[in-house]
Amino acid sequence: MARLPASGSPAVPRPGPGRARLEPAQGSGQGFWALAWYRFRHHKVALAGAAVVLVLVLVTLLAGPIAPYRFEDIDLTARLRSPSWRHLLGTDTIGHDVFTRLLYAGRVSLLVGFSAAVAAASAGILIGATAGFYGGWLDNVLMRITDVSLALPDLPILIVLSKYLGGSVAGIVFVISLFAWRGVARLVRGEVLKLRGQEFADAARALGATDLRILARHLVPNTLAPVIVAATLIVGGAILTEAALSFLGIGIQPPVPSWGNMLQNAQDFILSAPRRRPQGRSGPPAQALGHRAGSRDA
Amino acid sequence: MQRYVIRRLVQMVPILLGISIVVFALLAAAPGDQVDLLLSGVPGITPADVIRLKHVYGLDEPPHIRYVKWLERAAQGDFGWSRTYREPVSTLILDRLGNTVSLAAGALVLALAVAVPVGIYSALHQYSALDYAATLFTFFGVSVPVFWFGIMLIYLFGVNWHLLPPGGINSPGVTPGLPLVADRLKYLPLPTLALGLVFMASFTRYTRSSMLEVVRQDFVRTARAKGLPGRVVIRRHALRNALIPLVTVLGVAVPGILAGAPLTETVFSWPGVGKLLVDSTLGADYAVAQGIIMFIAVMAIGANLLVDIAYGILDPRIRFD
Repeated sequence: MARLPASGSPAVPRPGPGRARLEPAQGSGQGFWALAWYRFRHHKVALAGAAVVLVLVLVTLLAGPIAPYRFEDIDLTARLRSPSWRHLLGTDTIGHDVFTRLLYAGRVSLLVGFSAAVAAASAGILIGATAGFYGGWLDNVLMRITDVSLALPDLPILIVLSKYLGGSVAGIVFVISLFAWRGVARLVRGEVLKLRGQEFADAARALGATDLRILARHLVPNTLAPVIVAATLIVGGAILTEAALSFLGIGIQPPVPSWGNMLQNAQDFILSAPRRRPQGRSGPPAQALGHRAGSRDA
Repeated sequence: MQRYVIRRLVQMVPILLGISIVVFALLAAAPGDQVDLLLSGVPGITPADVIRLKHVYGLDEPPHIRYVKWLERAAQGDFGWSRTYREPVSTLILDRLGNTVSLAAGALVLALAVAVPVGIYSALHQYSALDYAATLFTFFGVSVPVFWFGIMLIYLFGVNWHLLPPGGINSPGVTPGLPLVADRLKYLPLPTLALGLVFMASFTRYTRSSMLEVVRQDFVRTARAKGLPGRVVIRRHALRNALIPLVTVLGVAVPGILAGAPLTETVFSWPGVGKLLVDSTLGADYAVAQGIIMFIAVMAIGANLLVDIAYGILDPRIRFD
């Protein structure tokens, strides 16, 4: 009885031939997230990717109980050891247990990746939404900056920046975010530009909503689906960038382990101690890296 | 066309100014200037000496004045003097430019040589076993970081199998001329492959998808309908159009190559501009780092412009406004 008037009222668009596109958004009564979850569950590659990510997150979060040593523990009598039962993946130059450091490094890498994605996506939404909504010279200036920075090679500039701002996790996240917002900004701008002309935006305006309210309540939420996809790509990219910077010696500084500085340590000894199976040291961080980047791609 | 190029060139000026200001401000804010670093290990230095030397180098002036002076000299090609190498920055960069260019060119040529045939084959035999293999390979190539792949190459080819030198650019004591070139050929393959892998993978993707799109178009069907043999249709009609987007991708690859160079060159101890950037950054050699950033920015933006122009020439459907 209570449902009848609602479903019959003209305010709710009925699923019909012309309404097909509205249906996934709100009309069906299922929430946005429920629908996304439904689609996700039926995508095998996505599920496999998510499983890899989930395992990585769990393992790194549980690094404390899992790891046989503490990441700063050193054993100078057991340096550059091959993998064994005592040291699953061997030991490095100064006798760190590589397996332990791999786990803790994953924590750092994931933290950098997710923080950078959140920071960059927020900045991208802010810039993109402003540009798309207000248009005019503001749009022109913001998008020109975005275009130009997209044409620039980011790593050389990041190298110089992170020498002075990096070193800590927060610094690295800041530096990486400086370049990672561009894609999101473009995306949000395009969507907002498209959406602001549609009826529901006009309706909100006619009802007296402020610019901020229209943007925050009506336009930006509708751009979130592609933004989330872009943000997950940023996670993978940020982890790789952090690894690259740490590998060059200007990212996360030892003794804090990161996949990048572990690789650097491995390379230093690939020539002088090759019989000690350097892949035992360079392999694992890199495989973990590859998995991360790969699973995000899906 | 001419007006378009001129407008783009004019647009480059504020961009380069912006980059130079940001980098200069950052380096100026960094703790310790050139004189501090220069004198840090020298015994018997009095504070008066420090002040005198700072005055000589103009470091006692406020940053914005120093920036204007730097800009004046940079516009004339003088990017200052390297503290660690004791050479002009421009000489340092130009000396290493050849090495980076040969590496980059090698990587791009290798990438194209593999990607175009593989991409075409994949598109023409969609969902075949080889197509799946190629897709898997592109997936691998795009996600593997160059510094890991490079180390693995060194480990396998250089250390384990002793097939190729594990790093460097030439054997010591090689006589210049033909022997030097022959010697260089042993040192090129590994870094070229390491740097080129990502582009190989992404070019394969682009060739495949672009070819797939083109072979479905009407003019290809027309060509087939008038009885042309399949090879001619592919080579004359489909391929030419399919390769146009690759030009853009090639343009996008230039910043990618410039970004990959520091990593690849560091992994393989390749004395190029990228390694110089890493070394000078680590050694706090500000003048060199700033010079290289400007240099790279000019190259990237210039390449972008060239690609846009080439695109217009190759595809008359595109017009410049």
